[in-house]
Amino acid sequence: MGASSLIVLFFAAIAFSVGGISIAKIFVKGVKNPQKGQAYECGIPATGSPWHQFNVGYYLFALIFLIFDVELVFMYPWAVVVKQTGLTALIEILIFIFILFMGFLYAHKKGALKWM
Amino acid sequence: MSEITVTHILFVSTALFFTGMYGLFTRRNMITMLMSVELILNSVNINFVAFNKYLYPGKLDGVFFTIFVITIAAAEAAVAIAIIINLYRSHHSIDVEDASELKY
Amino acid sequence: MGIDFLILMKHEWLLIAIIFILLFIKVGSKEWKNESILNLINILLLFNCIVGFFWNEGGILFNEMFKTDALIAAEKNILNLGTYIISLQSYSWLKNHKHVLEFYMLLLSTLAGMFFMISAGNLLMFYLGLELSSIPLAAIANFDLEKRKSSEAAFKFIISSAFSSGLLLFGISLMYGATGTIIFSELSQQLNGSPLQIFAFILLIAGFAFKISAVPFHLWTADVYEGAPVAVTSYLSVISKGAVLFVFVSVLYEVFKPLAETWYNVLFLLSVLTMIIGNLFAIRQNNLKRFLAFSSIAQVGFILIGISGNSQTGAASVVYFVLIYIFSNLGAFGVISLVSALTGKENIDDYKAFYKTNKLLSWVLAISLFSLAGIPPTAGFFGKFFLLMAGAGQGNYLLITIAALNMIVSLYYYLKVVKAIFMDTNETPIEKITIPSLPKLALFICMAGIVLTGLMSYVYEYIFSLISAF
Repeated sequence: MGASSLIVLFFAAIAFSVGGISIAKIFVKGVKNPQKGQAYECGIPATGSPWHQFNVGYYLFALIFLIFDVELVFMYPWAVVVKQTGLTALIEILIFIFILFMGFLYAHKKGALKWM
Repeated sequence: MSEITVTHILFVSTALFFTGMYGLFTRRNMITMLMSVELILNSVNINFVAFNKYLYPGKLDGVFFTIFVITIAAAEAAVAIAIIINLYRSHHSIDVEDASELKY
Repeated sequence: MGIDFLILMKHEWLLIAIIFILLFIKVGSKEWKNESILNLINILLLFNCIVGFFWNEGGILFNEMFKTDALIAAEKNILNLGTYIISLQSYSWLKNHKHVLEFYMLLLSTLAGMFFMISAGNLLMFYLGLELSSIPLAAIANFDLEKRKSSEAAFKFIISSAFSSGLLLFGISLMYGATGTIIFSELSQQLNGSPLQIFAFILLIAGFAFKISAVPFHLWTADVYEGAPVAVTSYLSVISKGAVLFVFVSVLYEVFKPLAETWYNVLFLLSVLTMIIGNLFAIRQNNLKRFLAFSSIAQVGFILIGISGNSQTGAASVVYFVLIYIFSNLGAFGVISLVSALTGKENIDDYKAFYKTNKLLSWVLAISLFSLAGIPPTAGFFGKFFLLMAGAGQGNYLLITIAALNMIVSLYYYLKVVKAIFMDTNETPIEKITIPSLPKLALFICMAGIVLTGLMSYVYEYIFSLISAF
């Protein structure tokens, strides 16, 4: 794959995006109603400005989610080798999950999982 | 078209590192400063993975370091955001210029 | 493996067991009173401290990730002792605090992080230990939850420690790229002084200098020390700094031995700057915590002289000085934390005529400050003497002269506090403070340490005999 094919791809990408928009412009009749201009076409109508402050509770949930989410990255290398390593790997991951579970219990005890 | 070598990737990661450093020194919003620190850590991740892939493909040291850096960055961000929430409760602002009681 | 692995990691296992006991108490249904929790924790820590002295064997575990020997065990015991003293001192502050269990869980996990850092035989373990010892510290710097200064200090601490570990990591990644290994023993064979390695090494040193607050990287120190609760400040200034210094010595002496020429110049520059700026800024401080922050920066300058010696004396003098520094600084902080917990006063002006009302506490503070200044009968003199002797071994007498001049400057500001306590008059001196029994025990340990470690020469000889690298 040389530089020429990259240029071809580049023009193809432009053609796709510009072409799609211009075809829609040409063929779709301009239907103008207030429903169209909204962020979500269906569901409950949005009220108020999106630039308002969120409840601080969201951040707490986000923090707890973040920690438990990222810790799972250690499971991927474990999953690759668990068959070769056998029982040792199983015990080690159980200890790891137990520590995570203690953290979860602590968060539960502190009431961090209740919505204020 | 030339091959992508380790030099190109190092260029990207170094640029990312200094972007993060610049952001950390110029930004005045605490969350943005935190994001700049994450940029620095991610440039380190790119470095590790690139070195591992191009220079030492037989070993996995670099990749494992990356996994640990990712998790520690998450823990760091969690503690920092918790501190920022606590600071917001007393200062009603997350601008670093407003948190200026300790000087000299 | 087997039983081996339990005994070699004994210090870490004990700490983790204590953390889990506290966690079980926390998630359990029974409500405990603060006093009984504090008593339980102090007993557990005393047990931990005593067990640390037994069954110390050397060995290597987990593919050179974890190593231990007699010196490392002694260093861990020193840190254990310091943590126990701090725990005793913070009794009057924690008695009325809502989150005692959390405080100890975070504190002990930082201590476990330091142990892993000291025992690390691998850059990955070292980095993990460093982060485990700095992230929870930021959380406990914020433990005066409603005080504005406390959260400001915590934010400054977490951002600067994150930035410094970013620098350190960038250095580690380049070092990995240049040598292809992260194991210490293989790393030292691969070092040849190529420009990329030097660059990576300078970044590593910058990360270290942030943690020990050597001068171009010291700006966070005073702010964090002033804003954080006194117990956390004393922990930061003694234990966390001491742990990083232990690692710094072993990393420089064992891993980066081939680059000795380079790091001698860096250390020379760092120590001169650190001593001069730390001393000059300490003169103009009025808040005692801030004053001790700058004085501790100046002390790091002296320690760097000892490290620059690059000899068995150098390593021994650093460990010995950290031991003395723990006693003297904790003596000073113990008095400050008692006064601060009961009256909230932290300025030097408030301490005028302190001797009129509190005779015992005045003597403790004065002896600690004498030891920090390095006046002969106290242990601080011997500590500084060995540091300078190790530095003089390199034959650079300019450095030693600068250090001696700085000691005179430091005498001025330490004696200024002593003068305020004993000689100045004050219409409203701090009222008489009744010392609870546990902080009294802590002050007694500190005083005994200051006097005895100086007079008994076998402490230094014992530490000297443990160092086997030379």
